[in-house]
Amino acid sequence: MSTPTTGPDGLEGRDPRTVAVLGAGTMGSGIAVVMARALHRTILFDVDEANLQRGLDTVHGFFDKSVERGKLTAPLAAAAKASLVGTTDLADLAASDVVVEAVYEDLALKKELFGALDDLVPDTTLFHTNTSTLSVTGIASGSRLPERVVGTHYCNPAPLMKLVEVADGRHTASWARAATIDFLESLGKTTVVTKDRPGFIVNRFLIPWENSCIRALESGLGTKESIDAAVLGALGHPMGPFRLLDIVGMDIHQQVATRLYEQLRDPRFFPPPMVERMVAAGDLGRKTGRGFYDYDDTRLFGS
Amino acid sequence: MTTTTTELRHVGVLGLGTMGAGIAQVLAASGRDVTVLEQDGARIAAGRARLEASLDRDVARGRTTEAERAAVLERVWCTSSLVDLAPVDLVVESVSEDLAVKRAVLDRVAATVAPDVPIVTNTSALSVTELATGLPGPERFAGLHFFNPAPAMRTVEVVPGLRTTPELVERLVALVESLADKIAVVVKDRPGFLVNSLLLPYLNDVVQELDDDLATAEDIDVALQLGLGYRTGPLAMLDLIGLDVHLQATTALHAATADPRYAPPPLLRQMVADGRLGDKSGDGFRTHPSPAASPRPVSPHDRSPA
Ligand SMILES: NC(=O)c1ccc[n+]([C@@H]2O[C@H](COP(=O)([O-])OP(=O)(O)OC[C@H]3O[C@@H](n4cnc5c(N)ncnc54)[C@H](O)[C@@H]3O)[C@@H](O)[C@H]2O)c1
Ligand SMILES: NC(=O)c1ccc[n+]([C@@H]2O[C@H](COP(=O)([O-])OP(=O)(O)OC[C@H]3O[C@@H](n4cnc5c(N)ncnc54)[C@H](O)[C@@H]3O)[C@@H](O)[C@H]2O)c1
Repeated sequence: MSTPTTGPDGLEGRDPRTVAVLGAGTMGSGIAVVMARALHRTILFDVDEANLQRGLDTVHGFFDKSVERGKLTAPLAAAAKASLVGTTDLADLAASDVVVEAVYEDLALKKELFGALDDLVPDTTLFHTNTSTLSVTGIASGSRLPERVVGTHYCNPAPLMKLVEVADGRHTASWARAATIDFLESLGKTTVVTKDRPGFIVNRFLIPWENSCIRALESGLGTKESIDAAVLGALGHPMGPFRLLDIVGMDIHQQVATRLYEQLRDPRFFPPPMVERMVAAGDLGRKTGRGFYDYDDTRLFGS
Repeated sequence: MTTTTTELRHVGVLGLGTMGAGIAQVLAASGRDVTVLEQDGARIAAGRARLEASLDRDVARGRTTEAERAAVLERVWCTSSLVDLAPVDLVVESVSEDLAVKRAVLDRVAATVAPDVPIVTNTSALSVTELATGLPGPERFAGLHFFNPAPAMRTVEVVPGLRTTPELVERLVALVESLADKIAVVVKDRPGFLVNSLLLPYLNDVVQELDDDLATAEDIDVALQLGLGYRTGPLAMLDLIGLDVHLQATTALHAATADPRYAPPPLLRQMVADGRLGDKSGDGFRTHPSPAASPRPVSPHDRSPA
């Protein structure tokens, strides 16, 4: 696997690999930034031409902003852009050393893609899945070689968040996991190793936490303002639970919580009734201008 | 840093333990005079040492000045004689978390201070209303719940009991807001009030998942720090709180609510039974004794760089 002799910001001593990113949405485009920034030959793949173009534009926009903000030199940004191509033809992924899957959260779709790739890429190619709530084992079962499939769960926004949760499926080989961790660390990511259990680490604790805060609000233990303020001032969280839910989006919280609940059948994961009411009302958070709080603009991460 | 105030100028603090020392520091830093009641000279000396160490850290970090440090120490006066509390305008009770101990000292203090002097408790897990019953003038009694370490944590919960007057709630909110960088949150007198009712089940959940081998203690903390931006991971937080303190609090809330989320996880009980209490014992979930000092056999191959 990749053994660069410098950090992800240096040009020299790289060992560029061919990395395919499947799905050019929020996460796929973010992961493509991570790969192209490290000057891996990056192929962004999507079935939808318009989504692919939007994803490529997102990646280019990210590099332009990085240069404006002095986070990246112009030559490095140009090199990063040059190392990225897009395609809607799966056959173009044949030379991939690593495949990172970030398509819709749909088990059948993810399995099918891995199965189709089996016939195209070498047997040594690593298959990474960015699933949040599906089982790595289930997705791996779509491949003839489940030992090469590893769960690599990035955080949104992938270019800025250092954490990647790494989870083996039942049949993941230790070489695949070790190579995956080496690769992720060469990208400047911090890896933690967890199990193929619903929610891995972050969502496993975040979802019941957010639900318990919503229940506290429902039961009159405090107001959204007082609960946010109390948590902020007592626990060292960067923002209160309702500010965070407004950024995540109530629809996304509902989806993730429900999927975890379906697997765990533990009531702590079940989204409290207020969630369904807010989704029904269209109060999804910042992206719709109103969630727990009202917003004048719908930008997600400020300017 | 110093804000002068005429409201509740002279405060009596009961107990100069972990919390009492921090609360005394915060109140004195706001320009108030503080009289602390402790059991004996040895405990006063230990408490003052804690207070001085905390101020030293603040000076070292540039959070306060040498002059301010000296002024704070001058404004905190310690005694083991109850009558010295007679002139105070407010009493903040922060003795050991034990209903009988708190009741006994509150009874005596209530009989010593003027009948209209507010008395507040820093209890974490007892009911404010229950503590108020039996006191002369339960309407002057409320909860004022600081977090550890009191000088650093911004949130202070103001907890009215069933009989607490709205005026007292207002005065306590104003008091908190006169303290440097503190935010008052008025909460109900429910087990764990607001923050602990949310925090304790979460911490228990983390300990159980650690025992269930979800990941190492370090990886759990790193995931939540990097993934969610938490300043401290939950297991390092437990080490800081003290595993015994957490066990006591969650056991009390479990008894008060019968809610299984408060049931202490087996690993927590075992760690406490084994004397692994976190930072204070030098051994916990994330804090470990250096291999040389370890009573447990450690093979040289297991040693990791300190
Ligand atoms: N959004 C998050 O915060 C987040 C965080 C971590 C992990 N995830 C996970 O990442 C994955 C992607 O999520 P997202 O938010 O980026 O979704 P998204 O809806 O933004 O993007 C999904 C993309 O996949 C494309 N796609 C669909 N079918 C495809 C196929 N057969 N081949 C190629 N491309 C296909 C779609 O056209 C779309 O562009 C999901 O598994 C999700 O659970 C999401
Ligand atoms: N430690 C925490 O994290 C924390 C946080 C918030 C609230 N609290 C609450 O604060 C209170 C104090 O907790 P602590 O952690 O400081 O305990 P502690 O054991 O550190 O200190 C308690 C002090 O009270 C003294 N004391 C006992 N009986 C006394 C009496 N009759 N008169 C005078 N002093 C007496 C003891 O000598 C001791 O120094 C408890 O109610 C606790 O629940 C603790």
